[in-house]
Amino acid sequence: MELIYNILQATFFTMTPLLVVALGGLFSERSGVVNIALEGIMVMGAFIGIFVISMIEGGSIPGQLVLIIGVIVGGLVGLIFSVFHAFASINLKADQTISGTALNIFAPAVAIFVARSMLGGSKEIKFLTVFRIKRVPFLTDIPILGRIFFEDFYITFYVGLIILLISWFVLYKTRLGLRIRACGENPHAADSVGINIYKIRYIGVLTSGFLAGMGGVIFIISASQAFAASVSGYGFLAIAVLIFGNWQPKKILFASFFFGLMTTLAAMYTEIPLLKGLGLSEEFYNMIPYIATLVVLALLSKSSKAPKAVGVIYDKGAR
Amino acid sequence: MKKLIALLSLTAFLIGGCQDEKKGHESYTPSYSTANKKIGLVTDVGSIDDKSFNQTSWEGIVDFAETNGLAIETNYKYFQPSGGSNAGTQDYITAINNAINWGAEIVVCPGFLFEVAIYEIQEKNKNIGFVLIDGTPNEGNYEDVYVAPNTVSILFKEQESGFLAGYAAVKDGFTSLGFMGGMAVPAVVRFGIGFIAGAYLAAKENNNTEFSFNKDHYTYVGKFEADPNIKTRAESWYNAGVEVIFAAAGGAGSSVLAAAQEGQDKWMIGVDKDQASDSPRVLTSATKGVHSATVLALESFYQSNFDVGGQILNLGAVDDGVGLPLGESWRFSSFTIEEYQSLYDKLVDGTINVPSTHETLKTYVEGLGYTLNLSFEDIGM
Repeated sequence: MELIYNILQATFFTMTPLLVVALGGLFSERSGVVNIALEGIMVMGAFIGIFVISMIEGGSIPGQLVLIIGVIVGGLVGLIFSVFHAFASINLKADQTISGTALNIFAPAVAIFVARSMLGGSKEIKFLTVFRIKRVPFLTDIPILGRIFFEDFYITFYVGLIILLISWFVLYKTRLGLRIRACGENPHAADSVGINIYKIRYIGVLTSGFLAGMGGVIFIISASQAFAASVSGYGFLAIAVLIFGNWQPKKILFASFFFGLMTTLAAMYTEIPLLKGLGLSEEFYNMIPYIATLVVLALLSKSSKAPKAVGVIYDKGAR
Repeated sequence: MKKLIALLSLTAFLIGGCQDEKKGHESYTPSYSTANKKIGLVTDVGSIDDKSFNQTSWEGIVDFAETNGLAIETNYKYFQPSGGSNAGTQDYITAINNAINWGAEIVVCPGFLFEVAIYEIQEKNKNIGFVLIDGTPNEGNYEDVYVAPNTVSILFKEQESGFLAGYAAVKDGFTSLGFMGGMAVPAVVRFGIGFIAGAYLAAKENNNTEFSFNKDHYTYVGKFEADPNIKTRAESWYNAGVEVIFAAAGGAGSSVLAAAQEGQDKWMIGVDKDQASDSPRVLTSATKGVHSATVLALESFYQSNFDVGGQILNLGAVDDGVGLPLGESWRFSSFTIEEYQSLYDKLVDGTINVPSTHETLKTYVEGLGYTLNLSFEDIGM
């Protein structure tokens, strides 16, 4: 039983950045813009977000609030950084994949450069606060559920769930959401009824920048104790989660949970008697998340539905 | 038919070509120019602030430069190969050539990744000094290991450093240890082997006959970068009762450290350089003297016409090349500096010969009256 709690707790912190960043990708792709720059945006968000955390931690502001401030700052930086992608791919009609790749290459380089030249010679930004919450009065004492959800957790997990709810609500219950989805499916039709495609796509890309920037900070605080100009490819994994989740918020939640669970099982296999009993070589255990994803994708790919106009540059004149 | 003949002759040509390349090496006496005092450093996939040998060798250069009043950019400079984390031999050769074109008289290359690049380039630049740290120049399969007269290859007895750390941890009262290496490359493996050996020796001295290094808690994580999976794994080990994990994994160590910080009374042992300032949960660090070795090579180059050229230096306790940090970084509660010194002296005078391969480790552990339950495959070398 103890083991199951540990597995779930680890799954939650692994899946949180994936969930948040994939939801970011969702807004962008649903509006019709491929955002492969998520990785780079995460790096930028994490860079400034962690920098702010390292500056204000240990002062009069309580730890969890420091974290929330850091996450929001990371989000704002991500938003600003994604303007480049939006401008290039919407106004300048650049190829979206190329523009995104450019940002991915640019981000770690600029983070290292700025960190080294301005922040005292090292690309590493350390922070010392432990953000994990050991337990909460009353809530942790709830049988079973208390231990799963309110023991050894990060507040960011709940931030992620709130973002999920908001995303679902915005996309499916508001006028803006309908417009975003319309832009991703058939921008010409949407344009013909008076929707400003450029504006909607800007909203989509900037929202994805905001969420990816937040995701960067969330990633670093739960994976490490220092920012070192990398998010280990989690931006790309988030794109995989987005596709795996079939561009739908609920399925993205499932996909990120599934992927988080599989990577956790792979990482913890030596402590799980059932898995260890298989006696496989370590390399095979490390493959588990990817093999499982391939299998599930193969089974579900028939119903996979990408937004129709995603990646297509919108040109009013083209008919 | 014609095509077949063409193909066969091409194959024969290729094989013949390969064989031709295995010719002997001519000996020569380099004549170095040392007037301009220009020192180049080429980083491997890491960077000059990677908390590992790239950083420590750079610090060695900076140290040498400051002692001798040299200026950055004019007298010393670092070059990063293109290709980022996928940089290959060709990228390294290009970067080394860039350093030479800039005017470098001596080029420092930290890391075994440079082995083939140096092998290829050392004889083509007879009057340039090369310092290869953590590796020996070879053609790629160690069939032809050749250190040219203008190259010095500096290796470390990492096993001795790991040995000190493992011994200290167990002497200090820890009984459940873990090891996470970045990848199973020689230097990292030697750290691991020494760590196990030291732990067993201390267990014997503590009369702990039950001690055993759990094979489940010895692994290579596959990368030198932070990753949530590494933290999850470290956390699961800590939850299973491991008290201290030795992370010989560069940047991935910070994921282990994060897990240690979140646990209760959990510790991490750093690697290469003193990491005590990273966190109060760093018990100690198994360091190696890349810094001082770089200075040594530079001093030899500029003051003694590179008398270490053509040699493979294997630095250990005898040369003050490995050790644990003392002073404020000393965080053991019962293990004392005196005990450490007496162990260190035994390494220096050769009373203790630390194993560096799986086979010698097995013999060593059995000699102490324990059985080693890690196989050759677990250790990786």
